[in-house]
Amino acid sequence: MFSLPLEQRLEILADSAKYDVSCSSSGSNRAGKAGMLGSTASSGICHTWTADGRCISLLKILLTNACIYDCAYCLNRRSNDIPRAAFTPDEVVELTVNFYRRNYIEGLFLSTGVIRSADYTMEQVVAVVRRLREVEGFNGYIHLKLVPGADPLLIAQAGRYADRVSINIELPSRQSLALLAPDKPREAVITPMRQVSGLIVESKAARKSTQLIVGATPESDREIITLTEGLYRRLELKRVYYSAFVPVSSDNRLPMLPTPPLLREHRLYQADWLLRFYGFSAHELLDENRPNLDMRFDPKSDWALRHLELFPVEVNRAEYEVLLRVPGIGVRSAQRIVQARRGTRLGEIELKKLGVVLKRARYFLTAGGRYLGGITLDGPRLVERLLAPARRPARLDQLELFAAMPDVSAMTGEL
Amino acid sequence: MIIYRYDGSFEGFLCAVAACREEGGNQPEFVRDRDDYAVGLFAADVREVLSVRETAMAFRKLFVGIASQDAFAVARYAFHSQKPGIEELLWKYLKLGLEVGPNLARMLAQEPVHTVNRIARQVSHEAHKFKGFVRFSEVAEGFLYARIEPQADVLPLIASHFTERVGDRPWMIHDIRRSQAALCDLKSWRLVKDIELVAEPGVSANEQQFAGLWQRYFQRLAIAERHNPELQQKHVPLRYRKHLTEFNSTSKPFEQEAI
Repeated sequence: MFSLPLEQRLEILADSAKYDVSCSSSGSNRAGKAGMLGSTASSGICHTWTADGRCISLLKILLTNACIYDCAYCLNRRSNDIPRAAFTPDEVVELTVNFYRRNYIEGLFLSTGVIRSADYTMEQVVAVVRRLREVEGFNGYIHLKLVPGADPLLIAQAGRYADRVSINIELPSRQSLALLAPDKPREAVITPMRQVSGLIVESKAARKSTQLIVGATPESDREIITLTEGLYRRLELKRVYYSAFVPVSSDNRLPMLPTPPLLREHRLYQADWLLRFYGFSAHELLDENRPNLDMRFDPKSDWALRHLELFPVEVNRAEYEVLLRVPGIGVRSAQRIVQARRGTRLGEIELKKLGVVLKRARYFLTAGGRYLGGITLDGPRLVERLLAPARRPARLDQLELFAAMPDVSAMTGEL
Repeated sequence: MIIYRYDGSFEGFLCAVAACREEGGNQPEFVRDRDDYAVGLFAADVREVLSVRETAMAFRKLFVGIASQDAFAVARYAFHSQKPGIEELLWKYLKLGLEVGPNLARMLAQEPVHTVNRIARQVSHEAHKFKGFVRFSEVAEGFLYARIEPQADVLPLIASHFTERVGDRPWMIHDIRRSQAALCDLKSWRLVKDIELVAEPGVSANEQQFAGLWQRYFQRLAIAERHNPELQQKHVPLRYRKHLTEFNSTSKPFEQEAI
C-alpha cells in the first residue's frame, strides 16, 4: 500500500474521498499566530472549483482506502476490486502544510477506511492531527472523520484538535443501514456524535456534521428532513450534507439509477436551508400526505402555495420573520428591506434597487398597498405563473446555494 | 470648478475630501496624479493634495463618529473599485453621511447610497474570491511569490489576511496589472508601487513537485457523473485562471494502472 509513488497514492486516495460532499471551512474564526502558519475565517474560503462545479476548500483525502467493512454504497468496500493505497502520517502532514502555504487550500479534511480495528484506525488519524498542530504548529482548518465504534478517549482527542468532526450516517433509516451496511450498527454512528456534543458544551471543541446518501434506499424526503431536523435540534449538528447517490458499484442490493438524483439533492438542500435560516419546521414542509418534496418548485414556494391565505404581505410593514417566508426573498433581501424601509417607503423600484428579485416574490407582496403580482391571487393561476417562464435548467440553479459570499455568509446561510 | 489632484491612495483621497470641505467646495473633481491627461487643457484650478496620514485619520474619525463604521467601510471598498467617477460619487456619499449621520445606512434604496453600496459589494466579492485565488510559488529559500490580476484594486484589502495566515515565511503578492505589490516580512506588510520584474523568478526545487501534485489532485477530484463546466466557470471566470496553478497544468492526468 505504500509502494506506489506519492502522486499515484494521492490520486487513489483523492478518488476514494471525493464522494464525501462536505468541504466547508466555515464556522471557525481563529487569528493567526506570529511566526506560525495558518488562520481560519468564519465565512470559510473556497480556493477553486472542480469541473463538476464543486468548491475545493479543504484537502480532502483518505489516510487509507483499505477497509474491513463491506458497505454496498461505498466505493471502498472490502469486496470492491480497486487499487488500495495509504499515506503515512508524515506524508499527510507534508502535503497539508505545503498546499496550505501556497494558498491552494484552507486546511485538511481527513477521512479513512477502517483497518484492523476502529481504535487502531482512529489512533492513526489522531496521530496526523497531533503532529500538524503540535509539531508543525499548523493553525489552519481541520475536519476529521470519526471512526464509528472508536474509543471515547480517542474521539475526545480528535474533537480537541479539529475544527469540525463528522461521522457519516449515510443511510436515513435503520432498515437501510442493516441492508446495505451490515457491519455498521447505527448506534456506533450516533453515540460518538452525542459524545462530541457533550464536548462542545464543555469546551470550544469541534463542530459536527454528517452526510446522508439520497436515492440509494427508499426513504421519503419527509423521513430525511425529519431526521435532519432532529440532528440539528437534538445533536446540535452544524451541517447535514446530502449526496445524490452515484452508483459506484453494481451491487444488486442497490437501485440502478441512470443519473444521480441531483434535483432531489438540490431540493433537500433548499429544505435544509429553510430549517436552519428561515424558521421553518420539518412538519410544515412535509407530512404524511405529502411525503416528498415537489420537484417543480422550491420548498418555500410550495409551502406558500398551500398557505395563500397568509399572502400577500405588505413589504413596508411585514415583520422580518414574515418576509423570510415570502418565496424569492432570502435572508439578505429581508435584512435589506427592514433596513431600507426605515429610511423611505418602498415601492417596486426601490425593491429592485435593493437587489430583491421579484420574479417569484411579486405574487406574494404588496408595496404601499399596491399588489405587485398583477393577477388575482389564486392557486392554480399562480402555479401556472411560477412554472411558466422557461426556467433555467435545474443543474444551473442547483448550486446557487453555494455561491461564496463575503463575511456575512455565516449568518445568512450563503456559501 | 476646482480639481483636486491626489496620489491615488485612499488616504490621499480622504485628504482631498478634507481639503475640499475646508474650502467649502461644492462640485469638486478629483484626479490621480498618475493620469495627467485627465487634467485637460481647460483645467481651471488645480489643487495638489499631499497625502498626510493624520489628516486622513482625522477625517475618518469625524465620519465614523457622525455616520458609522460600516458606512466608512463601504466607502473604502467602493473607492478600491477604481471605477471612473468613483471619487465624485464618494464625495457626494461622504458629504451626505456627514449631514444625515447614521441614517445613511437606511438610505439603501436612494442615491448615491445605492450605487456606492452596489460597487462596494462587487469589490468585497472580488476581494473575498482573491483570498482563495492567490497562488504562492516558493522561490529562493522559502520566499513566497504570487501574481494576481484582479479587476478592482483588492490587494490593500486582502494583504492583512495573508499577513495573519502566512506568518512563517516572507511573501510578496504582485498585482501585475497595477505594477504594485504587497510585501510582508513575517510581521507586517507594506504596499510598494511601480514594481516590474526584470526576470522570471526562479522557483525552489520543491515547487514543481507540489504544483504537480496539486494539479493531479484537482483533476482527480471532479466527479464525472456530475460534470458541469458552466457552473465551474461561473465560480472561476476564465479571466482569473491565468494565475491559478490548477488550471495551468502541463502534465496529462495520470492514467490509473491495474495493480
